[in-house]
Formats: sequence, C-alpha cells, structure tokens
Amino acid sequence: MQSSTATPQSPASAAGPGGRRLGRRIRVRPAPRGRNRRRELAGLGYATPTAVVVGLLFLAPLVLVCWMSVNHWPLLGSPSVNFPHNYTSVADDSLIGNAAWFTVKYTLVTTVVLFAVALGLALLVQHPRPGVALLRTAFFLPAAVGFATASLLFLGLLSNAIGPVNPLLQDLGLINKPVDWITGSPGGALGSTVTLVTWRFAGFNMLILLTGLQAIPSELYEAARMDGANRLQTLRRITLPLLRPTIALVLIMMITGSLLAFDQFYILTKGGPDNSTTSVVMIIVRDAFVRFDLGAAAALSVVVLGILVLLNVLQLSLLRRREER
Amino acid sequence: MTSTREATMTGNRRFRRDAGKLGYYGTAGALALLFLFPLLWSGWASVKTPHGFGLTNYRNMVHYGDGIGTYLVNSVEVTTMTVCGTLLVSVLGGYAFGRFRFPGKNLLFLATLAILMVPYPTILIPLYVLLGKMGLQNSLIGLSMVLVMFQLPFATFMMRNSFEAVPQELEDSAAVDGCGSFTTLTRVMIHTVRPAVVTVGLFAFLAAWNEFFAALILLNSSDKFTLPLAVVSMEGRTFGSIDYPTLQAGVVFMAIPCLVLFLLLQRSYVRGFMTGALRS
Amino acid sequence: MIRSRPRAVRRVLGAVLATFALTVSAACSSGGGSHTAGSGGSGSGSGGAAKGVTITLWTRAATQSQTQALVDAYNSSHANHVVITSYPNDQYPAKIASAAGARSLPDIFTSDVVFAPNYAAQGLWTDVSSRFASLSFKDKVAPSFIKAATNGGKLFAVPHDLDLSVMYYNKTLYKQAGLDPTKPPTTLAEYAAQARAVAKLGGKVHGTYEGGNCGGCIEFTTWPSIWADGGQVMNADGTTSSIDSPQATAVYQIYRSLFADGTMAPGAKQEDGTTWLSALQAGEIGIAPGPSSWLNLIEQKGVDIGVAPIPGVNGGTSTFVGGDVAGISATSKNADAAWDFLSWCLDDQAQVQVVAKLHEIIARTDLAQNQYAVKDPNVVTINQVLAKGQTPYALNFNATYNDPQSPWTTTLRGAFFGPSLAGALSSGQTAITASLKQQG
Repeated sequence: MQSSTATPQSPASAAGPGGRRLGRRIRVRPAPRGRNRRRELAGLGYATPTAVVVGLLFLAPLVLVCWMSVNHWPLLGSPSVNFPHNYTSVADDSLIGNAAWFTVKYTLVTTVVLFAVALGLALLVQHPRPGVALLRTAFFLPAAVGFATASLLFLGLLSNAIGPVNPLLQDLGLINKPVDWITGSPGGALGSTVTLVTWRFAGFNMLILLTGLQAIPSELYEAARMDGANRLQTLRRITLPLLRPTIALVLIMMITGSLLAFDQFYILTKGGPDNSTTSVVMIIVRDAFVRFDLGAAAALSVVVLGILVLLNVLQLSLLRRREER
Repeated sequence: MTSTREATMTGNRRFRRDAGKLGYYGTAGALALLFLFPLLWSGWASVKTPHGFGLTNYRNMVHYGDGIGTYLVNSVEVTTMTVCGTLLVSVLGGYAFGRFRFPGKNLLFLATLAILMVPYPTILIPLYVLLGKMGLQNSLIGLSMVLVMFQLPFATFMMRNSFEAVPQELEDSAAVDGCGSFTTLTRVMIHTVRPAVVTVGLFAFLAAWNEFFAALILLNSSDKFTLPLAVVSMEGRTFGSIDYPTLQAGVVFMAIPCLVLFLLLQRSYVRGFMTGALRS
Repeated sequence: MIRSRPRAVRRVLGAVLATFALTVSAACSSGGGSHTAGSGGSGSGSGGAAKGVTITLWTRAATQSQTQALVDAYNSSHANHVVITSYPNDQYPAKIASAAGARSLPDIFTSDVVFAPNYAAQGLWTDVSSRFASLSFKDKVAPSFIKAATNGGKLFAVPHDLDLSVMYYNKTLYKQAGLDPTKPPTTLAEYAAQARAVAKLGGKVHGTYEGGNCGGCIEFTTWPSIWADGGQVMNADGTTSSIDSPQATAVYQIYRSLFADGTMAPGAKQEDGTTWLSALQAGEIGIAPGPSSWLNLIEQKGVDIGVAPIPGVNGGTSTFVGGDVAGISATSKNADAAWDFLSWCLDDQAQVQVVAKLHEIIARTDLAQNQYAVKDPNVVTINQVLAKGQTPYALNFNATYNDPQSPWTTTLRGAFFGPSLAGALSSGQTAITASLKQQG
C-alpha cells in the first residue's frame, strides 16, 4: 500500500507559501535580457521530466477520474454520461455520513496525539548531550518500516494469539482478562490505529520539528534565562512562536494524511467493529472494488479532492495572514 | 567557613544536576525502549516456534510459490528503478524550481504537490488503463513509473528547498569559471545538496520496497510479483487460520533491508533534514 | 573547486546512465514477455488444444491448491500449458475489476460462486452455452452453480471447486460430556443442547463457535437452517430480502442465546474469519458449523471429528453450496484452448482421479459414489448433503452480504448482540433490500 502518499509523512502539501517566501528572499540579479531568456529555457528544460511525469501519470488519470465521475462506467464495455447521478448517489449512501464523521474525529485525535508526542520528543532531544543521537535514532527508527508492514506488525502485536500486550498488562494487574484491542470495541479500534500511527510517524515529525527548533538562535534562550524566565515561560514566549512555520507545516501534513487515511483501517480493523472505523477512503475503495461502481467511486474521490484543496488553501491563507500581521 | 558553605552549595547543585540527569535519561530511555519494543518483539516472534526457537517460519516463507528469489529480484528491480527515476526527475526538477524562473513554474509546482491530495486507490484504475495503452501492462517499469509519480511531491519539495539554500556565490563562481547551468549542477550544486539526495533516495527506496496496493493492481502474473504481494498471498493460502509467526517472519524480512539502510545513511539524511531541506 | 570531486560526478552520471540502461533492458524484457503470450494466442485458431497454447488463469489464494492439482494433471497430459497466478483473497475482486477496465483479464479467471452473477452480468466472461450443451454430462453438473453463472439464458462459467457447509462435532468431547458420538443433532435445538452439554466440561473447552463478525461465515452456516425449514432469505431474483421471517427469527434466536449464555467460545464474537479454522483445529469446541473443505485440515491435527448435515429448527437438513466457478474471460484470444481445459476439469477422469482423490467435493452429481468417497463415511455424508443444498443468487451479493461494511454484517451483529432480535431483522431486511436493488 502506498504508505508514502496516503499517510501523514509527506510534508509537501505545505510548500506553497514557503516557496514563495523563499523566492522573495533570494535576490535575482539583474542580467542581460538574452541571458534571462536562456535561463528561462534552461529552467523549462530541467522541469520537463517533472512536467512529463506529473502530466502523464497524474493529471491525465485525474482528468479521466473526473470524466468517470459523470459517467455510468461499467467494468467492460462503453460508458454513458449520467451526470449528476454519481454525485447524488454519494449523498444517498447511508455509510458516508458515519464515515465522514469518523474521519473527522480520527483526524482530530490523531493530529492532537501525534503532534503532542512529536513535539515532546523534539524538545527532549533538542540539545546536544551525550547519548542524544542514540535517542533520536530510536525514535526515528519506526519510520524505516513500511506503513503496511507496520500495520501487519501491530496486527500481531495486539493480537490475542501471540501478542505480548495482554500478558504484560495482566501481569501488571491492569486488566484481569485478555482484551480484544483491535476489534473488541470502537474505542479500542480507534486507540489501536492511533497508537500505530503515532509509533510510525512521531519520529519523522520530531525530525521536522527539530529542524525548526535548531533554527532558533541560542542567544534568545540565553536572554530569556538572564531575565529569569522558567522553562514553561521560555516554551510559551520563545519556542512556540518562533516554531510556528514548522508547526504549521507539520499540522497540514498530519491533517491531509489523516483525512486520506486508509491502509491502517484496511489492514488492522477492516473498518470494524460495526463500521465504527470506516473512513471515507474505505468507502471509495468499497464503491470501486466491492460494488464495482467506478463512477460513484470517482465522484466521491472528486469530492474528497475538492475538500482537501479547499482546506489546504484555507490553512495556507490563514497562516500567511498571521505572518504578515 | 566560607569555603565549606561554598562546598555544600556546589554539592547541592551537583546533586540536583545529577538528579535532573537521572530523570532525563530515565524518561528518555524508557521512551526509546517503548519505540523500539515493537521491532524487537517482531524479531523475537519471528524466530519463535512451538518447540523453542528456529527458522521454520522463514523456511515456510522462502519456499512459497515461484520461490522467494523471483520476488526478491523483482523487488530489487522495482526499487532500483524507482530510486533512480525519482532522483533523476526530482534533482532536475528541484534545480529548476529552486534556481530558475520560467513560465508555468508555480502551476507545475502546485500540480506536483496536488498528488498528495488525491485518494490514491481511485487513480490507480485510470493509471492501469493508461499504462496498458503505453504497452507497459504487467511490467515492473510501469509500476516503477507510478511509484516515481507518488514520490514526486516529497522529493521535489525536498530538492527545491535544498537547491534554494545553496548560496548564490557558489553558482556565480561556477559561472565565472565558464560552467553552463548543467555543468554547474553536476560539478558544483550536486555536492551541496547531497544530503537531500540521500534523503529522497532513501524515502523512494522505502516506498518502492514496501508498496503493496499499486503492485497488486498493476502486476498480472506471479513471475512479476514483488515481495509484499507474495508475502500477503502467502498468508491467504489457508483461509481461516492466520499464521501469525510466519506473518512476523515476513514483516522482519521486509523490514531488515530498510532498517540497515536507515542506520547506514543516518548521518546523511539527518543532515538532509537539517540543512534547510525542510526549512520553510 | 570545480574539479575537486570528479568521483562524485562520475557516480551521478553513472546513476543516470544506469537508469536509462535499466529502462531499456527492462522494456525489452517485458516486451518479449508479452510477445510470447501474443504468439501463443495467434497460434490457437480452431482446435487450439492440439497446437500447445499457453493459457493464463487467475484464482484466489484460498482455493489455489485444488486448482494447482488440476492444472498440474492437465499440463502433464496436454500440449497446452496452463499458468496460474493467485491473488490475495481480500483483494481478488479489486484485481478483477481493474484488469477488466484495462482489458487485461487472463484467459480464465475463477470466482467465488456467489459473486458470479455480477461478473456474468458485467459481461466479463464469454458465453459458453453451446460449448457446455455439447458435453455428455451436461445435466449432471452441480445445478445451483449453473444457475449462478447463467445470465439472460446464457451460461458464462462452469463449476470449478465446491465447498459445502456442514456441522463438525468433536467425538472425544462428546464422549467426555456423556453424549453419543453416533447421534449428532437432527434439529437446531438439539445442536444447542449438545453444545451446552459439552460447554459444561469447562476449562478451555467451549460448546460451539461461529464467525460472529463475518458476514460470509454466518450466511454460509446459518442460512441452511432457514432453508431446511422451508424458509428463504430472499426472492429467486435476489432483489428482495426476506430475512425478517419466522424461520429466520427462530434460527437466530437459538444462536443469540448461545452467545448470551457463554456457550460460544469467547473469540466467536469478534471472529472475522481469519482464525475460524484454527479455533476448530484446536479440538476444544464441542460442535460447530464450518466449510466441508476443512475436514482434512481438522483431521490432520489429530482431532476425532464427525460430520453431520446442518439441521433446521424443526428437523430437515440443508447446506450452502459454495465454492468457485471458472469462466473464459470476454477478452481472451485463446477461448478454444481455455475451454479444452475447463471441460477436461469436469470429465470423469479429472473429477475422480484428481478432485475426489484429494478428498474434495466433486462437481458432478453422477460420480458421488466414487472409489475414494465410499472409503470415508464423512465424505459420503457430505456428498449426500450436496443434493439438498442451495446457492443463493443475487447480483449485488458481495456488497450486500460478504463485505465487512455490508448491511448483512450490521444485521447479524444486531441479531446476535443488539438490544432486540426482531428489531435487527426488520431494519436489516429494509437495508439489505435497498442494497440488493442498488444499481451501479
């Protein structure tokens, strides 16, 4: 499964404004016109492979998805336009309401937990001390395991059959009989997934936050200490405000990734128990590969894409306005 | 008298500092163990058999289907092509986005990032049709091309920021020496952005090595299957009895190359993150 | 400065060159692969069997072993060569759907029989009506499978392997509990009573087991009880559910009480099918329904197991005739060779010497008393049950019943664990009917 694209690990969604800001910072030197023209052509040349891949393997299929979404699209045979049937059928689907609500809930919980853990870890390993490199490695290591592989790992880890979690908790006297973590209850299923995602992605996000933390000049900390500020005050007055751009990047990544979450539910909970962990992307997969209604799946994808683009634009403009203030 | 008071004070401070150190390493160490625990457990569970310890679970895995060798070779091929392809496209693209101005630049960059916002299972169906039209059905190349596309948002973002962070003076001095833009890239720039190259390559490796769903949809015959596909098929042979230990053997088998590479390249990719690769 | 690191430059250039080299070489190899397949296709024409054609076949991992046995036997005695590719069970329909869209289906693909109506209606298989009609044994092939694969009067697929639902009871535990191991239940109430008797043994032993979170498991094992009493779960066209019936209520009342009083093993409530077999193999369950194909797998673990038909509430027996059908895909260029393989699989020799020898259920009603079946009383029981069985028919079967997000899964969870059985069945009937009528 496409761990890198459907999950909160890819930071790229935040790039829009960052790029523009950087662009502003770099001085473009005045140069003769002919040279500018040549550089323009050269730039175009270097961007061509990207343009070909994006155009051919992303935009073209995307156009086809949009076209599918306004058609009755049989598996074999010729499609026929049926707009807006696919879109109205999305609204009629009894599963979609629950799935949308769950996806939002999951996004909130995951974002809060994952962010808190990642920031905590980043602060913990922020300053160079003996052994800090080892700690960083330990926290970051789960990112080396593919996400689908990690899901399978947790399937065993939390299972009753061979998992060590239940015996351990029983020995500690925290539970008195084995608990079905993954499928036993909606809370347990959600908890299992959030634990998995936190384990897998906390280190990655820690590293990104760490890059932001290390960009904060140490003189500022010195000055704060001179003024007699305690640790909490330093965190609130200096660290968090200066870390804001990095925090925004991390949050946007987490939110986009969580809204598109799929693998963890598909492998771990199968959307259960009782549809309590059925995410929106799972409904898309069900429409396409269980109901064979490719038109409806495409329509729902277009809706999700629209919402995500809107959400990201909104987040970015909010962020930019705050920075300009 | 004064000296004893000073001594007690330093003693107190030292004690407090030692206690603080103990608290710090205690907490951090416990957290590190918590993060390592699932990996360690998986390794342990994969060698555990009903009669003690052994490699039975791995032996079950090795002899599946066309033999694990076929799947391993396919996985290596797909991974190599994906890493090389991602690097080729994203280094050139990052160079263009980071150091040049050209028409359509912002639009192309945003289109690249939009890849992240599409629910990927949907786009695989049109991709399958498209690859068929290009004569790349059931081919490891077709699969690699799709994986390169999925890697592009992260890779391009990373490379662009990295190229942007290169001081202008470096480029200027290359120009003075008579380098064209391409020689500047291959002789000067590429060294400065090497940490980012390693990071991008590593993440492309992870994605390609572990990919399941795209491989399932795009590959049509078992002689083309990659490891993740084989491992999951293996699990389904007897419906109704999931073989957890063999599953963990599969997990470990898949994870070990990633972990080794991760540890080997650690210095580079940490620097890739640190030296402005993700600065925004 | 500029010439400081020629080695690194060379490395990068090397990487770039390697990419191109790989691209070119791999392109050639994949092109070559498809070429061989293509030339095989062009060689077929009429009577492709004689020339030696490569036939591609897809199946799901769960039924791979039997298909493999048939293919091995066929390949060793024919010029044609069948090549199997098996896909993970859960993702198999996704694979079929996407391959169909790209017109890259194999020559033959198998399907769970309950999904066959959908594939037939979608036109994924080629019409084999006239080919099938020319077979001498055409009236002796599992009739419910033929119905499932028929659409608009045309036949699109033939039976490939069969799997029936039966009761498994543990003779050792029966003796310990003071029950007569030669007298398995004849009504569903007796099944519950015997399960409760075994449950009294306590310890790790439990009375019975079910897939309490698995739509496919529950339809497979409980619908026969409804059929045995003359009830139906839906109309013949598979468009209207009748799960809210007196027969169904009586059946689910019994299972509900077995869950409620702890006669069911604790794992049963969350069983989604992935550890169902392991539960029966452990030898700690008194009596439980399950697929007939597991008989060998359970006996191999040293469990002294008996097989009985699934009874109805008021007596009578029935079974869910499940398994796979196989059809020639609509885009195949090797239809003649593919049919040569499919018809060979159904003839006397293959059915007895390959299928029956493996203790699997045969697809032919006229060969039930074959030399391998008569040796094992359990197999005889299974073959006798086959005649009374049904295969439910619905176009939207997977989405309505088997999928974890299906309305049927919600219904059965409500019927077993919800506040009201009657409420779960009546709201379930509405939701199931809506899903059955849904059109793509």
